[in-house]
Amino acid sequence: MVTVLSRIGAVLVSLLFCANLQAATPNLVVYTYDSFTSDWGPGPKVKTAFEAKCSCTLELVGLSDGVAMLNRLKLEGTNSRADILLGIDTNLTAEARNSGLFANHGLSLQASALPNPWQDDLFLPYDFGYFAFVYNQEKLANPPTSLRQLVDNSEGPTLLIQDPRTSTPGLGLLLWMKKVFGEESDQAWAQLSPRVVTVSKGWSEAYGLFLKGEADMVLSYTTSPAYHLIAEQDSRFAAARFEEGHYQQIEVAGIVQTSQHKQLAREFLEFMISEDFQKIIPTTNWMYPAVAGEAVVPVEFDQLIDPRPALLLDETSVARHRKGWVDEWLEVMSR
Amino acid sequence: MTTSHAIPAGLVLALLALLVLAPMAGLFHLSALPGYQAADLRIWENAYLRRVVYFSLWQALLSTLFSVLPAILVARAFAMQPDLPLRRLLLGLFALPLVVPAVVVVMAVVSVYGSDGWLPLGRSLYGINGILLAHVFFNLPLAVRLLLPQWQAIPQHHWQLGEQLGMNGLQRFRFIEWPMLREALPGVLLLVFMLCLTSFAVVLTLGGGPRSTTIEVAIYQSLRFDFDPAKAVVLALLQLGLCMLVAMLTLKLQRMPEVEIAISTPHRNRTNLFRWFNLGIILLATLYVGMPLLSLLIDALRGPIGETLGDLRLWQALINTLLIGLSAALLSVTAGWFLLQYSASLAREGRSKAAKLVDLAGSIVYVVPPLVIATGLFVLLSPHVDVFDWVYPIVIAINALMGLPFVIRCLGPAIRQNQARYHRLCLGLALQGWNRFRHVEWPLLRRPLGLAIALVAVLAMGDLGVIALFGSTQSSTLALMIYHQLGAYLVAKATVTAVLLLLLCLGVFVFVERFIGGKSDAGN
Repeated sequence: MVTVLSRIGAVLVSLLFCANLQAATPNLVVYTYDSFTSDWGPGPKVKTAFEAKCSCTLELVGLSDGVAMLNRLKLEGTNSRADILLGIDTNLTAEARNSGLFANHGLSLQASALPNPWQDDLFLPYDFGYFAFVYNQEKLANPPTSLRQLVDNSEGPTLLIQDPRTSTPGLGLLLWMKKVFGEESDQAWAQLSPRVVTVSKGWSEAYGLFLKGEADMVLSYTTSPAYHLIAEQDSRFAAARFEEGHYQQIEVAGIVQTSQHKQLAREFLEFMISEDFQKIIPTTNWMYPAVAGEAVVPVEFDQLIDPRPALLLDETSVARHRKGWVDEWLEVMSR
Repeated sequence: MTTSHAIPAGLVLALLALLVLAPMAGLFHLSALPGYQAADLRIWENAYLRRVVYFSLWQALLSTLFSVLPAILVARAFAMQPDLPLRRLLLGLFALPLVVPAVVVVMAVVSVYGSDGWLPLGRSLYGINGILLAHVFFNLPLAVRLLLPQWQAIPQHHWQLGEQLGMNGLQRFRFIEWPMLREALPGVLLLVFMLCLTSFAVVLTLGGGPRSTTIEVAIYQSLRFDFDPAKAVVLALLQLGLCMLVAMLTLKLQRMPEVEIAISTPHRNRTNLFRWFNLGIILLATLYVGMPLLSLLIDALRGPIGETLGDLRLWQALINTLLIGLSAALLSVTAGWFLLQYSASLAREGRSKAAKLVDLAGSIVYVVPPLVIATGLFVLLSPHVDVFDWVYPIVIAINALMGLPFVIRCLGPAIRQNQARYHRLCLGLALQGWNRFRHVEWPLLRRPLGLAIALVAVLAMGDLGVIALFGSTQSSTLALMIYHQLGAYLVAKATVTAVLLLLLCLGVFVFVERFIGGKSDAGN
């Protein structure tokens, strides 16, 4: 209690003296999503590590998600303060590319850990993950072994999923179903629909409801059980491995065309694919680092399922069909 | 003679219009620029959107009825039991649900009614049941707080007359209470309706899926997912228009009672039967409101309390939260004060239609989604100023705007009664301006003023939406912090933070109400 009080005192003091100590060092502004900048995300550690070597100030601005970041950048146009956009995924890269707001990074991804080779002049990945249905092994003995089995078995487990209009995993599942069922995906959704307990606005609501025992499985990431293993020493949770493979999410960063600090921005991207940055990712963002390396991934990640083959639709077809597919989904799910 | 307060009220109205219409115009203009897709505005031809509109109205209507009708009974029970033990604390508790961020309410509702909960409803929770349970949890206590003062305004001799005439309970309600209730009830109905109409995360998550999509979700979708600003504006205008229609209907119900100078003391029930009935009602309502809050408290007590409270950033967020809440409340109450004085003087002059319109203008802005206002403001401001320097003023302004309908509901009837009773006296004594405020208005209006400030402060303290829209460099408010913790698997920590936010709000509520509202134990 004494320590708590003394800490409260320290905060009050530091607030009083919270003068804006801005030296003449350059300020690198990174737009990212707020779970990256949050106190429990990679942000604070990344900031410390980069500032230790760059003699600059790294300003991480948290927006609600990738879509918000890109919209913000478009609204700001040439007035943007942003030097870097970090945290859009490959479902948004086509749109970002077409905006013409990004500059070539001129770097290449050495020792890539991605399942497929990466080649892109504008965007560089920093982590990736796979969507999966997570369940409690004590409660669900025989999880489905394929997406098709999950869909076909009308007596199968109940599900919590997210809305593709408001959530990244929600859109991920939509594309996953598209990739596996193609033209028949609306029938598959119709079959799945009765077992969907609810479709939440964001990941947090669905995962929270799952932990409260509201359904057998929740749409999340293959890496979610690693959180429970490492942070809570709890091995009850697992991701169900599906034969068809798991849909991938690759998170990337790019340099903003109008940046006044392009050299510094490039240094940041170089830092981003270095071990110092990459080793922060697994236990803060709970994703796989984009660069392979000995010390980068904690051993607990070895206990996770092998999600390969990695499924991914190319960015142009996602950009072209996303809206139509979501409308189709709305139609089926609203019946 | 010019109507008093016309100039400041006109200024407030102009500011309101500017704050609502300018961002919309900004967004609309945007869609005409190259690089944006031409807006698809054939909204009414879209079967999906028709369904969305229908569903929004239906769920809002049901939620409003289920919240406000029982609230009349509960408020009446509280009014009849002025010496109830813990009354003040219970009424403080009733101010809390509105503060809880939607995502936490979803968790709390599931703790009580979910499949592992205390009163399990199973799968049937998801759908209209869940939506109603959550909306009644939010709004019943609010309606109780807003309706309760109406009983206070009933002159004592009405009760005495009723007794002499040998009225039974039903007759007393019909002839004594209902006429007073009719002044406030339409406004409360409208406010609750607006709150339910614009509900987003609760409806989507507890509603079971996209069947339960509100217009607010469609606006969010068109502004964020489709990035079609013009469509978002049109949908926002549609929502505004629908609300206007409902407002017209509810205001038809409104009757202003005669105001007389009279002493009002709390009316006590003499018969034991009534007393038990009232206590039963209060108990039920307290259980209903208390259970989800209690489930949060229990989860929090099991959670990592020391670790969460030992975090410096939590206290920084707490201070920010307090500052935003209190600033928004003061701004909102100041704006509301001038609007209401103006509308009261209009009503005094017999222009009650104009008076109602002024009140309505102050209330209806609530249904313009903060996302639309914030994005529109961003479009307008970002070419000229660094928006990041303006985050706090903008957040405070939008929160004050959102608080305005609450101010109007809390203060409106009281200001009208005050003017009706004392305006002539003040004219006779040549009391005006500050002197009039100090000697006539402050002593008589401090109680509803306290309630209004407290209510808007806690509302703004629980707000998460606005600050998240502008981008933040850290977890700058408690609500945002809760959201970040939930996003980082830290459910237990988030619960502790949520309970801290609740306790903070309870503290602010009780303190502001006592400090500004005065110690009068007739306590509303």
